[in-house]
Amino acid sequence: MKYDVIVVGAGLAGLTAALRLTEQDRRVLVIAKGNGATHLAPPSIDVLGYADEKRVESPQAALPAFVAKYPGHPYASVSAEHIGEALDWLSNRVPELGYRGRLDENWLLPTAVGVPKPSVLVPETMVAGDLRRGGRFAFVGLSGLKDFHASYLAQNLARAQLPAQVSTRFIELDPPHGRSADPGSVGFARRFEESQFRDWIVQALAGWLEPDEKVGFPAVLGLAKAGEVWRDLEARLAHRVFEVPMLPPSAPGIRLYEALAGALRRAGARILIGDRVSAAGLEGGRVAGVNAESASRPVTYRASAFVLATGGFASGGLDLDSHGSVRETVFGLPVAGLPEAGEPLFSPRYFDIQPVSRTGLATDTLLRPVDNDGHVVHDNLFAAGAILAGAVPWREHSGNGISLATGYAAAAAILEQPAVTSRRDARV
Amino acid sequence: MSSIQTDVLVIGGGSTGSGVARDAAMRGFSTLLVERRDLADGTTGRFHGLLHSGGRYAVKDAPAAVECIEENRILRKIAPDCIEDTGGFFVVTPWDDPDFGDRFLAGCRSTGVPVQEVSVGEALRREPRLNPGIKRAFTVPDAAIDPWKLVWSNVRSAQEHGARVLTYHRVLSLDVDEGKVKGAVLRDERSGEEIRVHAEVIVNAAGAWAGQIAAFAGCEVQVLPGKGVMIAMNHRLVQTVLNRCKMPSDGDIIVPIRTTCVIGTTDVHITDPDQAEITKKEVDFMLDEGDKLVPGFRQARALHAWAGVRPLFQETRAKKDIDTRDVTRSHALLDHKKRDGVSGFVTITGGKTTTYRLMAEVAVDAVCEQLGGPRPCRTALELLPGSERHATYQLGARLGAREPLPQAEEIICECELVTRSDLDAAIARRETDSIDDIRRLLRVGMGPCQGGFCIYRATGLLHSDRRLDYATANRALLAFLEERWKGLHPILYGDQFRQTRLDDWIFQGLLDVQHLPK
Repeated sequence: MKYDVIVVGAGLAGLTAALRLTEQDRRVLVIAKGNGATHLAPPSIDVLGYADEKRVESPQAALPAFVAKYPGHPYASVSAEHIGEALDWLSNRVPELGYRGRLDENWLLPTAVGVPKPSVLVPETMVAGDLRRGGRFAFVGLSGLKDFHASYLAQNLARAQLPAQVSTRFIELDPPHGRSADPGSVGFARRFEESQFRDWIVQALAGWLEPDEKVGFPAVLGLAKAGEVWRDLEARLAHRVFEVPMLPPSAPGIRLYEALAGALRRAGARILIGDRVSAAGLEGGRVAGVNAESASRPVTYRASAFVLATGGFASGGLDLDSHGSVRETVFGLPVAGLPEAGEPLFSPRYFDIQPVSRTGLATDTLLRPVDNDGHVVHDNLFAAGAILAGAVPWREHSGNGISLATGYAAAAAILEQPAVTSRRDARV
Repeated sequence: MSSIQTDVLVIGGGSTGSGVARDAAMRGFSTLLVERRDLADGTTGRFHGLLHSGGRYAVKDAPAAVECIEENRILRKIAPDCIEDTGGFFVVTPWDDPDFGDRFLAGCRSTGVPVQEVSVGEALRREPRLNPGIKRAFTVPDAAIDPWKLVWSNVRSAQEHGARVLTYHRVLSLDVDEGKVKGAVLRDERSGEEIRVHAEVIVNAAGAWAGQIAAFAGCEVQVLPGKGVMIAMNHRLVQTVLNRCKMPSDGDIIVPIRTTCVIGTTDVHITDPDQAEITKKEVDFMLDEGDKLVPGFRQARALHAWAGVRPLFQETRAKKDIDTRDVTRSHALLDHKKRDGVSGFVTITGGKTTTYRLMAEVAVDAVCEQLGGPRPCRTALELLPGSERHATYQLGARLGAREPLPQAEEIICECELVTRSDLDAAIARRETDSIDDIRRLLRVGMGPCQGGFCIYRATGLLHSDRRLDYATANRALLAFLEERWKGLHPILYGDQFRQTRLDDWIFQGLLDVQHLPK
């Protein structure tokens, strides 16, 4: 089977590239070993939360200086205009998430330990958690949900560095247990989709809320029916309601995956999850295809262009061996950003920026991986997301922003490539 | 300053000190055990977990081998719950002197260490991952021992016999008056409060720190800290203790313990026992040595590394001055009355966890001598608390306990199967604000994710169960992250690095703990 584009990896970067290409009538195959970081992370998009350990108010304003200081950063390959365009594009493509926000201002949303975290694009279920204008917040803990500690969150948040006064408190509820005493976040998300369970929650909170309080729940307000769950709670509690992201798995992240995958399937792309991928052949400086080890038999898929969006070390796109060398796991691409031979990869202090942190793939401005001399390795191979070198996403609070922006830009680069024929052309 | 009166003050909460406290209390002395940090936080909690058969010393140090096998038999009787009866192999690999096998056999036979040669085929059948190139294989009764359980059961027994235990109490000074040690001044490390202890005899069981304690009494005790690095692998690659059959050297043993196996160890002399760093070179060396015993060892997932500090005693006093009665290569009893003319003060150091009970016995014998005459030692005869079933620990016991009711309550640490009620009980029992203290009791955070998931939960529960203020809870979380990093960064590669990246994202990205209020 021949595709126009094969995207390896089904996280935010891969899905973004795939959907953008499918919309432009390219025949697209997404193939991945498993679900990506969407299932772990909240769907809010952080573009740049901290620059050199200082909290950023407007990523749009901060980006030029940031990119000038870190020329090897993935944002150096995408302009601020493109990032803004990608944010608008995502908001429009997944209306069910009800994204709000713009590149020129960071919202501040509470984390599960009560630290304000900057994000530019926020799903509607988290919007009321914005801390910038202060106010009164009540956080609801649920017994049996081990990944959310409302009292700890509330105490920390009351002491956070914020532009306006915030007051916090917590309410612990002991909802009736289902079959399991340890259902986890996805189990709780399913229960919130049951109207009887919500009846219990609403009754339990009745009379406890102050008139102007915003009510923070752990991010378990449903999966497919989250919009309905959230609106129902807001209406019946007559208070603003918002979700606070929790440890993986992420119910709201799964919603983003389902929304993007649904849009992709409706647009005609194919998604294969569960296959380990390796390079199938290289012809004249170009990738010819990939092999997929599926459950039944190995299959070779061919395409005109490829997007590598397998993620960084956490997702298995990169692997560090016991001798300290790093391998890109699908194509064996050259890796940049490693410390000099003999220099340590790690610092003995946990909160240092670790020397190995910025390791990944270096690319040209079209996001094609390059070797150590700056030469493009394969003309038709593009990279996007956490596999790119130069960023420390968990410190910069830039991970989803990098994935979205580079996934979007990789698709744009492929669309500009003359060699790729569109589906419509192929049919003529 | 408040004060405490006691017959015996024991300094050091490792295996030796807890054994001394138990023994002294059982012989009817009022006893106080003090430890500057948590129980088993020093060398005892940082070794590979081997209960020696004596095979390791059969050629090099016969008296030590005899002591080991005798104590091995005693501990199997009094502390079976702390022991997993894995058995042990000594194997001659292609890198080892082929003639050593015969010397080993002869050494075991002359010291009474039960040994049996098995065919290479039989050894490989029992341990399929063992290097197929081995030349000879011998079985010995090595086993794995849980040092935390051992110390805790000794301490509980001591408490049942009336002993008091103060953890996080540092000895600031000893009171010496006219050639007699009369007591000590302690500082409560958490409140800062100072306490004066009046004691008839002080037993210095501070291990690698024994020289520092002895110096308070003006006695010179030279304990060279010998750093040993260990690495726990994520899989139980072997089911039996595997020893290289050669003279003791670095990286010559793999001990299966719980769901992991531990390779040990190096031996590097350092100056300060509190500064035991793990170097990349040591880790690389051990992985290579592991590969010789179990090919592919290097590719397996490493979980955590740590450095323990052996107390290597060197007698600096002229030979004729010392009472050599109890000094073997394995441990040293120093009666400072005879040695230095300072009465009421005894140092017991050197040794190993396998012989902790014997060390305690000789130390308390010396105490008796100073306090009016012999009293019989019963520690070899009486069962330790927790071992009432007379059964050794079986791998999978925790899972077995949970399996009948898998959904009954929240699992806080999935890796080590620690439940919410386990954690609540441990927090209440330990009365501690340190997640590391709870780890030593329950093994939370010791599995593959190294606390990535359970540490936030444990912090939240500490905060609510103990009604901590936010700052104390935040310090507990951050201190645990820094402490676990010490054992992680030297061994990060492959899947453990992958896991660590996820954990970094959870703590620094998702939760953003570095911006917690102070």
